Amino acid sequence: MSLPAIALQKYNPLTTIITYDDFDRGACGWLDLTPNFTEPGHMHRATALDKSHWGAPMLSTSTFGLVGTHGSMDGTYSLKLATRPVANPYEEKPAPGSFSHALKRLSMHRTIQRLQMEMWYAYTPEQDRIGLGEKDIRAFGMFFDIQDHEYRWQPGIRYLNSVNGELAQRWQIMQAADVTDKQWAYGREGEWNIRGIDGLWYGERRKDGTADAYSEVPGTHQQLVYNETDDKINWLYLRLLVDFAKREYIEFQSMDRVYSLRAQKPTLTRPYARIEGLLNPIIWLENDTNRRCFLNIDSVVISMD
Amino acid sequence: MRHFQMVVVHRRDEFTGDFASEPFEAAWASEAIVFLRTEEISYGGTIEAKAQISADGLNWIDEGTEFATQTEPGNSFIRLRHFGGWLRINGTVSGTAKITLQIALKE
Repeated sequence: MSLPAIALQKYNPLTTIITYDDFDRGACGWLDLTPNFTEPGHMHRATALDKSHWGAPMLSTSTFGLVGTHGSMDGTYSLKLATRPVANPYEEKPAPGSFSHALKRLSMHRTIQRLQMEMWYAYTPEQDRIGLGEKDIRAFGMFFDIQDHEYRWQPGIRYLNSVNGELAQRWQIMQAADVTDKQWAYGREGEWNIRGIDGLWYGERRKDGTADAYSEVPGTHQQLVYNETDDKINWLYLRLLVDFAKREYIEFQSMDRVYSLRAQKPTLTRPYARIEGLLNPIIWLENDTNRRCFLNIDSVVISMD
Repeated sequence: MRHFQMVVVHRRDEFTGDFASEPFEAAWASEAIVFLRTEEISYGGTIEAKAQISADGLNWIDEGTEFATQTEPGNSFIRLRHFGGWLRINGTVSGTAKITLQIALKE
């Protein structure tokens, strides 16, 4: 059996694997989101949220000063999302740089029944201070940005780890509350992102960890393997399965636990121009305090049937 | 085929006084060119900047390569080799400057 075939055995892909990205082979098309530089001087249009300063992803060796190099699950390199050391309180608009974000720009090539994203990942803050930094990581998640032949929609999940320094450690799904586009966009009329689009950083957030962009999933409190110090990382498994044909969630899996999402629906929005057939997988991380936080992705598999 | 990546570490960020770029992991690459684009600079302002390396992304040491002093909008670069696992740019802006910092890495 070839090494890639062995490496794939830790995944549970659907019939057709669209991409299998092991970051020992490079960035594989994943890069951070940037605004549309279409204005004079290659500037971008004004938006309620500054989207030009997210921390850039990098190929990481997961190296720590007193530990050395972890490497990745199958080699040396993982894709590291790294925030900048800036953050706002949870209920405020995210500070530029408080997220790091990576996406891969794909499109549909045949009729999809089910769509799945899987990854092996690890998370930790920069070891720039003593103590345990687990609470300094606010959230991370993954979702698809889809535009089929009728709607744009973004099914996704996030692990809400910490809210203003208090551990929350539960899963939520992307599902927009019944708010207006203006409420969604921090009170700004005409924002590019309408209700239901880019919920990772749009919509009101409340101190109890709820948010207009997310719905709670009862029974999903889960303590992940964080280990005992910030310089010991463990690789974790995450999987999201979507019924593409019905535009519904099916389930997600975190480590060895599977959570049903049957009958849960993502938010459908009107189509945007020039992106019919868009199929972008997206992975992101947000910090909870003025500290660099890291999400290292060993590998990602996107599959369908 | 050799691997290549150009990453925009800072995009039109405004700096004043002492500054350091975001750390960037570059262990996979054997050579780098760091491009410093001065988008805007205040009248009479200067940018002094140099490369730094690190074992862990926290403790930084001058690598020895410096940019020419920037006094007006324009592009400059430095070439780096044998830099280990991490790179960043450290410097001082006299006045204020808007800077784009790009690192081109090659295996």
